[in-house]
Amino acid sequence: MIKTPIFKLAAGLLLFSILLSACGSAATPTAIVDPTDTLAAPTTAAPSATTAPAGLPAVITLGAVHDLSGATAVYGTSIQKGIDLAVKQINAQKFLGDGVTLKITYVDAAGDPKQAIAAYEKLTADSSITAILGPTLSSEAQSADPIAQEAKVPVIASSNTAAGITSIGDYIFRTSLPESAVVPNTVAVTSKALNLKKVALMYGNDDAFTKSGYEVFKAALTKDGIQILDEETFVKGDTDFSTQLTKIKSLNPDAIIVSALAEEAAGIMTQARTLGIPDSVRIIGGNGFNSPKLAQLAGKAAEGAISGSAWNVASTFPANVAFVSAFKAEYNSDPDQFAAQAYTAAWVTALAIKNAASVDHAAVRDALAKIQNFDSPLGSFAFDANRDPLHQPVVLTVKDGKFVVFQP
Amino acid sequence: MSAFSNFWASYGSVVQFALINMILAISIYFTLYSGMLSLANAGFMAIGAYLSAVLTIRTGLPLPLGLACGGLAAAAVAFLLGLPVLRLRGIYLAIATIGFGEIVRIFAINFDKFSGLQLLGGAEGLAGVPKLTTPAALLVTLLVLVYLLIRLPRSRTGRALAAIRQDENVAASMGVDVFRYKMLAFVLGAFVAGLAGGFDAHLTRFVDPNSYGFDAAVNILAYAILGGTAHWAGPLLGAAILTVLPESLRFLQDYRGIVNGLIIVVVILYLPRGLVDPKAFHRKETPHAEA
Amino acid sequence: MFWQQVVNAIWLGAVYSLFALGYTLVFGVLGILNLAYPSIYMWGAFFGLVAVNTLHLPIWLALPLAMLASGLLGMLVDLLAFKPLRARKAPELAALISSIGTSIILINLAQGAFQAQVSRFPFETFPVQVYTLGPVTITLLQITILGISLAIMLLLGWLIRGTRLGQSMRAVAFSPVTAARLGIPVERVIGQTAFIAGALAGAAGVLLGLAFNSVSPFMGEPMNLKGLTVIILGGLGNIEGAVLGGFILAFSEVMSVAYLSSDLRDAVAFILLILILLFRPNGLLGRTTSKKA
Repeated sequence: MIKTPIFKLAAGLLLFSILLSACGSAATPTAIVDPTDTLAAPTTAAPSATTAPAGLPAVITLGAVHDLSGATAVYGTSIQKGIDLAVKQINAQKFLGDGVTLKITYVDAAGDPKQAIAAYEKLTADSSITAILGPTLSSEAQSADPIAQEAKVPVIASSNTAAGITSIGDYIFRTSLPESAVVPNTVAVTSKALNLKKVALMYGNDDAFTKSGYEVFKAALTKDGIQILDEETFVKGDTDFSTQLTKIKSLNPDAIIVSALAEEAAGIMTQARTLGIPDSVRIIGGNGFNSPKLAQLAGKAAEGAISGSAWNVASTFPANVAFVSAFKAEYNSDPDQFAAQAYTAAWVTALAIKNAASVDHAAVRDALAKIQNFDSPLGSFAFDANRDPLHQPVVLTVKDGKFVVFQP
Repeated sequence: MSAFSNFWASYGSVVQFALINMILAISIYFTLYSGMLSLANAGFMAIGAYLSAVLTIRTGLPLPLGLACGGLAAAAVAFLLGLPVLRLRGIYLAIATIGFGEIVRIFAINFDKFSGLQLLGGAEGLAGVPKLTTPAALLVTLLVLVYLLIRLPRSRTGRALAAIRQDENVAASMGVDVFRYKMLAFVLGAFVAGLAGGFDAHLTRFVDPNSYGFDAAVNILAYAILGGTAHWAGPLLGAAILTVLPESLRFLQDYRGIVNGLIIVVVILYLPRGLVDPKAFHRKETPHAEA
Repeated sequence: MFWQQVVNAIWLGAVYSLFALGYTLVFGVLGILNLAYPSIYMWGAFFGLVAVNTLHLPIWLALPLAMLASGLLGMLVDLLAFKPLRARKAPELAALISSIGTSIILINLAQGAFQAQVSRFPFETFPVQVYTLGPVTITLLQITILGISLAIMLLLGWLIRGTRLGQSMRAVAFSPVTAARLGIPVERVIGQTAFIAGALAGAAGVLLGLAFNSVSPFMGEPMNLKGLTVIILGGLGNIEGAVLGGFILAFSEVMSVAYLSSDLRDAVAFILLILILLFRPNGLLGRTTSKKA
């Protein structure tokens, strides 16, 4: 084995890697997907006076830091579809004016807060980036959003539902309704409809999302005077829940509250019914249930499952009907909540830019905060004083493998 | 803006992560140098991260003191762990350290719940850690460690550790207190890992219990294996390459992770002494090369 | 509730034991701790899934096919990741490290090929049939898997004790050098062992993927650490030990969750691991088939 050349090779490899990253992405961040290439606006010298606000450049770029690979890519790719659809429509309608094109520069964070940090540093250092959409996970947001806040670049998240994200600063917005806004509604509606007096509570205790969902559920249940007979935990990736469910079964709860992601929720539902927990004991959950995966994995066991959601695919709100059919036409599949919220985030950002008639960060930020009555798939959309979304959540239930509105 | 400040604005964090990973690689270097395979360093890193973060958040302690406390706590835990565990043979030691890493993770996730305190943040992690890590602090720490590494082989401790790596029984029969030196390497490695954890927490502003599990431990191992433990520059080079590589391999997307695995396997099979091998510089050039 | 928990524990014990058999076999004969084993288990589940989804085979054909494919994968892993180390008589830790790298490669290959999501075997793959006996319920699938696990354990035991191959395996486990001198084709026996272990992993993958309706590139990870506990509990290389360890772990987990707190579930495995390593590192039934210095 020739070792000396290999040492040189290694040092060369290192240098090469650095150069590759630098050259490939120094001034212009790596663009993996540019959906607007086919719809590039004609480069006219002066934008048409009728619709183009004067202060907008020919190309407006938004950064998007999302998980496009790795275990959380399932959310990231759904988000990407929502964003891309919005951008395509915005450019086709010339929403920002003649001669103005909206572009998205994607940077993959792969579920890693460190990569999210690196992505944010690159994007905030690039003065052509007007705002950043993302990141996918709340843990990434905790690490990376402060960077945007310090650089005074607006961030519009569409999938962070943990507490304490928008409180990072006044440049951080989100279109994803936090669990603290959805769950109390779920509890109120179901406890009345199902006459709940005593429940059991199961949750994933090693995941930030399911853990915070549990905390919100517990607070809401306690506030409504519902007795919590038992609390059981599991971890992400667990497939056997029979021990916890056996214990719960013996306590005879009126319902089982489950704060879990779709995979674990499906396992819990299946095993609960196999163990003989009757269908009348409904399984109620949070945002984690809102995925087509639930029925896919649990099949018949998912029937009757109830969840609170920020979005309802079957909502007859005109903007939602249009969104769902456009999504189906574009991607040949139904959208999920991530796509709907991401689509809304992209549109809301474009609206703010249009209202501000500028890509100046501060102006866009202020315009975002002022958004009212925007027709989105989520309903009539506005940001509240904390830059969280302000719209009514819904309570859904699984019927014949699909989510429909829960009718008491 | 100058070219350098442009570069730094875009890549400053990657460089600092590389420096932290170099410190981590050095932490495992000590144990590998004495022939022990310890995968506990991610756990020690977590201890350093949590303690230093809690101290700076709650008491406003300046970073150097917070780091020192984190490192010392990790070292203390290492001592307690080492007492029973260091007398285990090779594979069993490795497994025990894997188990330890997981226990730290589970402890961190459940601590708040069982103690009733709102200290570590549970599964949601500890947010709001002030960004206090500076490149200067990292470089200074690294330089001090490199100095220690350079002095190590020629020192009495270094020679004892090398003897232990060669053959424990022979070393013992020559009068080397095997257990004491192993403990020294183990505790020292833990201290350094604890420091790295503290730096890491104060750079990412966040302590996520799930980021210090088995995968993290394997990454640390990979830095040292790639660079090799024959020379002090080995771990540094290994850490640098493996930190920068994922950035330039973004185009591989879902297959990106394969590279780490490939590097580990290829290096262990064909380059067991790692990339930085001083023997290569001294070997007489032969007309034909080994494949 | 108690009797249902007992049934839960027996079922879980069979699950852990089935997983651990191949794991401990590799250590026993090859003398290495193959941390890539859980990834072969995972690939076995995917082989089965592909057989059912793409080739439209019924489960009783898909299972042996998946076992064959994983057996070959096991041999391939040994050939590429361990054989070169044996050739140059590398220290045992090198094989451990090589297996870690191999595991990463296998998991990422699966991620690239199948996406990181959780899939499941189609609903019609196995009939859903629940039996209730008093306070206890159990499904046909669970009974079937219990039966298959038992059959595999007995077969394996017979293989080791009653056949020429088994004899050779035990000889190689005792001392490869002596075995070679006795005319035993050591490398071939090792290859065959790798095949058998891989096939066992594949069987476990398909059966458990079916039982829990869950197949994903990461399904090996939780089993990784629990599998380690099981085989160390029973003694590395000891088949009966793997079974005993599996049941001990299962009962400890189930009873502590049922009567203490479900937060402790994962901790139980590690506590058992640490205890055994401290007080009886060779395992409860240790030192039967393996004897490495």
